[in-house]
Amino acid sequence: MDLDQLISRATGLTTGAGAALLGRLQSVRLPGVGTASAKDDPATAARRWRAVTVLAAPDRLADLPSPLAALGDRVETRVRPAPGDKGTELAARFRGPATDDDLGRLRQALRETKQLVEVGEVLRMDPRPHGERADTPGGRLLDGAVAASRKEGLL
Amino acid sequence: MRALTWTGVNQLSVEDVPEPQLLNDHDVILKITRTTTCGSDLHLLSGYIPFMRAGDVIGHEFMGEVVEVGSGVRNRRVGDRVVVASFVSCGNCWYCRNELYSLCDNSNPNPGITEGLWGQAIGGCLGYSHAVGGYAGSHAEYMRVPFADVGSFVVPDGVPDDRALFASDAASTAFTGVDLGGVQPGDTVAVWGAGAVGQMAARISALVGAEQVVVIDRLPERLEQARTHAGADVIDYSSTDVAAELRERTGGRGPDVCIEAVGMEAHSPGPQGVYDQVKQQLRLQTDRTSAVREAIMACRKGGSVFTLGVFAAMVDKFPLGAVMNKGLTLRGAQVHGPRYIPRLLEWMESGELVTEHLATHVMPLEEAPRGYELFKEKQDGCVRAVFLPHG
Ligand SMILES: NC(=O)c1ccc[n+]([C@@H]2O[C@H](COP(=O)([O-])OP(=O)(O)OC[C@H]3O[C@@H](n4cnc5c(N)ncnc54)[C@H](O)[C@@H]3O)[C@@H](O)[C@H]2O)c1
Ligand SMILES: [Zn+2]
Ligand SMILES: [Zn+2]
Repeated sequence: MDLDQLISRATGLTTGAGAALLGRLQSVRLPGVGTASAKDDPATAARRWRAVTVLAAPDRLADLPSPLAALGDRVETRVRPAPGDKGTELAARFRGPATDDDLGRLRQALRETKQLVEVGEVLRMDPRPHGERADTPGGRLLDGAVAASRKEGLL
Repeated sequence: MRALTWTGVNQLSVEDVPEPQLLNDHDVILKITRTTTCGSDLHLLSGYIPFMRAGDVIGHEFMGEVVEVGSGVRNRRVGDRVVVASFVSCGNCWYCRNELYSLCDNSNPNPGITEGLWGQAIGGCLGYSHAVGGYAGSHAEYMRVPFADVGSFVVPDGVPDDRALFASDAASTAFTGVDLGGVQPGDTVAVWGAGAVGQMAARISALVGAEQVVVIDRLPERLEQARTHAGADVIDYSSTDVAAELRERTGGRGPDVCIEAVGMEAHSPGPQGVYDQVKQQLRLQTDRTSAVREAIMACRKGGSVFTLGVFAAMVDKFPLGAVMNKGLTLRGAQVHGPRYIPRLLEWMESGELVTEHLATHVMPLEEAPRGYELFKEKQDGCVRAVFLPHG
């Protein structure tokens, strides 16, 4: 889809639209610019292993870290050493069907697990200093995108 | 406290905002003593990086005094006078351990945005839009600095504030380009852009042994600074055929290393400039690249081109054929601050690297909107406007 089209369509001007915009950013096709490869259908995409590489020995991931443990039995995980001394690959996926919301929680859990192991804490951002947040359509769109961005992305 | 906020495209205001707090164990709170404009801010101001929210505090090149220390911080004390890297780095991920600090895996809390844009998320940057974290910036009285053991550096007593300040971003960015661009003793280096970043790239190239350094811009006062303070030869591209001039000065070879320090709003005279501007404004391309194109065409065979200027997404009319057929190395990066700041501070202390002349306009934070106006329009010889949040 054309970027302008996407932006104007998403300018339904809600924070929900911002999250949707971000969700679709990865499938943007600019005019005349694309990739040759086929795209996963949603069912295949939902079944893919989603993985982060953690700079730590595999035994640090032996006990399922809490953000992933919170997803319970619905999720299976795979731990293996990364080639070239890059640490340990931690992958996870849902055993059964998964909604977009499920996948979002899984992305966030993987990212937080990696942070906990590598730096010992998850980065916190709020409260942060800011001035007057004018209530504009663009602002609402961005608020939605930012709120979704821990759960979105290519992971 | 008072802070400079972005309130809309080309609009800034100084407002009252809440003070920052320690949020993570590795944070410190800094009392900002000096904070300055960067060419990168201009891309935010003009709306080319559409991830700004009204009320965001901007600013990422700064120094200050530590006033509060998180429980996990090991090497910083209250009272330390520090300069801070503009990008945030955790120090523990594979990228940080390999000194690719701006690529940190753990410092951008909004990875979804840049993963979608670029295929992978890069690290967070202070005061530089929600795409790279949405951190509050340095144009304020106080600021939270995460992972302070990694990103902040105590300034030696012998280094004055107006020198140390530029280790934060301009000089460390320049060093990133010189180092990863592969400048070797004896090289000829050409630098596009005579802003603070370009001037620092010229000076640092000479410090690591380049034999001939040429700086390209059109603003006479900046070219004069590059000549005086970096000892560079200069070319005014508005009156000179840059590629022809470079061939003549390099025995027909072209420069060994070409460093681009201009960015996505590159100016160019003639039809190419009009074409780029129209396409950028119609959103058919997001970036204007005239300086990168020129660098690629001018570079010697087998040479290296490094883009320090910030680009957001897609470009047009890119001379890929020249890159491939001339065997060029094309590389870019955001600044890997912690890799270079210690060495920069040594050079600053020994007097080999001076930067005070970049601070052409020093003013209270309350006047920051005027400072940005001068900086954006390059009025009154402005190279950097420096703000003093505490007078
Ligand atoms: N990679 C990083 O981490 C990083 C860090 C800081 C700044 N930057 C980027 O570096 C660039 C320069 O920063 P700055 O603070 O020096 O900016 P600046 O705006 O002060 O300077 C840019 C200079 O480029 C000149 N210029 C414009 N078009 C040109 C052309 N076609 N050929 C030659 N010169 C041209 C302008 O006259 C100006 O002097 C910006 O794009 C900025 O975003 C990158
Ligand atoms: Zn900068
Ligand atoms: Zn890191």
